[in-house]
Amino acid sequence: MLSYIIRRLLLLPIILLGVTFLIFCLFSLLSPMERLATYVHDPATLKNPQSVQRLIDKYHLDDPFPLGYINWIKRIIHFDLGWSQTANQPVWEAITQRFPATLELVLYSIIPVVLVGIWLGVISAVHHNDMLDQTIRVTAIVGWSLPTFIFGLLILFIFYGILEWFPPGRLSTWAQNILYTSPDFRSYTHLITIDALLNGNIPMFLDALRHLIAPILTLSYISWAELLRITRSSMLDTLRKDYIRTARAKGVDEHTVIHLHARKNALIPVVTVAGMQIIGMLGGVVITETIFNYPGLGFWVASSAQQLDYSSVISFALLFATLMVLGNLIVDISYALIDPRVRLE
Amino acid sequence: MLDSGKLLLAVKDLRTYFFTEEGIAKAVDGVDFEVYEGETLGIVGESACGKSVTAFSIMKLLDYPGKTVGGEVIFKGENLLEKSEEEMRRIRGKEIAMIFQEPMTALNPILTVGFQISEALMAHFKMSKEEARDRSIELLKKVGIPLPEQRVNEYPYQLSGGMRQRVMIAMALSCDPSLLIADEPTTALDVTIQAQILDLMRSLLQGFKGALIMITHDLGVIAEIADRIAVMYAGKVVEYTDKRTIFYYPLHPYTFGLLTSIPRLDLELPRLNAIPGVVPDPLHFPAGCKFNPRCRFVTERCKEEEPSLVKVEEGHSVRCWNVERVSKEAKEGLLVGEV
Repeated sequence: MLSYIIRRLLLLPIILLGVTFLIFCLFSLLSPMERLATYVHDPATLKNPQSVQRLIDKYHLDDPFPLGYINWIKRIIHFDLGWSQTANQPVWEAITQRFPATLELVLYSIIPVVLVGIWLGVISAVHHNDMLDQTIRVTAIVGWSLPTFIFGLLILFIFYGILEWFPPGRLSTWAQNILYTSPDFRSYTHLITIDALLNGNIPMFLDALRHLIAPILTLSYISWAELLRITRSSMLDTLRKDYIRTARAKGVDEHTVIHLHARKNALIPVVTVAGMQIIGMLGGVVITETIFNYPGLGFWVASSAQQLDYSSVISFALLFATLMVLGNLIVDISYALIDPRVRLE
Repeated sequence: MLDSGKLLLAVKDLRTYFFTEEGIAKAVDGVDFEVYEGETLGIVGESACGKSVTAFSIMKLLDYPGKTVGGEVIFKGENLLEKSEEEMRRIRGKEIAMIFQEPMTALNPILTVGFQISEALMAHFKMSKEEARDRSIELLKKVGIPLPEQRVNEYPYQLSGGMRQRVMIAMALSCDPSLLIADEPTTALDVTIQAQILDLMRSLLQGFKGALIMITHDLGVIAEIADRIAVMYAGKVVEYTDKRTIFYYPLHPYTFGLLTSIPRLDLELPRLNAIPGVVPDPLHFPAGCKFNPRCRFVTERCKEEEPSLVKVEEGHSVRCWNVERVSKEAKEGLLVGEV
């Protein structure tokens, strides 16, 4: 088991190298002049060929591909991810500053994904083909066929535009004032809901929560719908297994049959998908955060992409790939916790 | 002689249909038999003739879209078909236990064998975890599993097929049921293990006060273990009598065909006879007697009218129009062997 984890961790740099290489390739398709556009603040500079060339040299934009790539990798190893034009600060700083907001959003979204996805999936399978099952299934089908940007806009339109329940952003102005200016307020985790509770500021906690609900709904819908689908089919499959009949033949009560004998087995394939969905939500934040004006990584990377701020985009991709690989490792380890057959290998 | 025990189970005209999209599959369509205390009933027939479905109907463990649509299952004087799910739950495992065909898939892969045996004990006798565990170890010892203290904590994948079937037997016997249904318990095992499991079952039966229903397609197994035999074909019992009568005085062409299709040491059959054709699809049964397309003794009447199960003598019922002709040939073909 330990050697397996070590082997997987050794693979991590190789996978990341592949990922960065692909992204770097994409950016190399742009000419140095096009890439330069990111660094030009004053359009007048473009009229002077000499200053253009000076800028190209300054940012190493016409280095041959391998050299450009190697230089970039070298800098990354020293945590120098470059300068984010969009955030107007170093990329590493931009990431660390925005990461807590995104993490908070994703962490809260795990709750509906896992609870609703798995719980409804099991209920749906147990009530196979009756009204309840059909209703749940239709909800799920809508969830994974409706694109996030449409569903998100709908939520925004209904809950902010009409009902005015869930405003966009991360905090109301009064709460922001406390967060940034109050000397008494201490940030322990940078997750606002938790910090607010730790500071005993309940109104602030509720305000942060109010801002989170709409993005959580949007971000998690597609994921829990997918998880529900997998749980349902896995559960249906398991309920037909011989050992379920054995359990019933022993006179075990139906609750134990479903929740111990069937669900535990049915969850084995679900764990993989759940892991992927949760990590995938980090990618999903790009659209969700943009819609709800939520100041996290996704919001920042979306504007970076529009402005061809490639050092920001490539760093986000690198971060995302690292989390993806680590997440998969965690998924594989959690297999062993559920399925004894994996433990000894 | 056999009827000395008390009547334990009487199945009367049991009908279980599967309502599929292609139509109604009459998997069990008229099954009658009785089981007395202390005796072993063998149910024999080809694959897909309704043997297992009969067992599941008795236990009320049918999978969707199967449904018992008629008949009675009288167990200890009460009709099980009228019991609620909760009442059935209290009967399953405690009064009627079952051993399944595939020990590979019949055990839950992610629970220890000890827990799987304990479960029935905890459900029916409200035993504590520790008591049930101790009892599980005893049971594992009883079914001949070495190092039971260690095995009790192992998972099914760590055991061989024969071991798993022993675990299944331990599980079935855990609550001392009055009726044990064994659904092809040796089919999925290789021959040497089959013999071991049969030996084990026979030795356990010595001290077993209840009755056993042994479902199998293997006449050899039946010959070794059963007192009374029901031969099934296409969802119906076609012949029902005691073991000696079945092997030497069969009256149904199907039973007769089965007996001449297996090699026997006590007979000198000129050659083994195969029964031509295959078991009919339960969605498209032939008209008249279900066996008529494969039958050597077929007449016009067989194709039009289905015979019913008729008692030809005390303790011998058969479902055939041509009993006399079959009887005559069977006497010539099979009686040589009887001593």
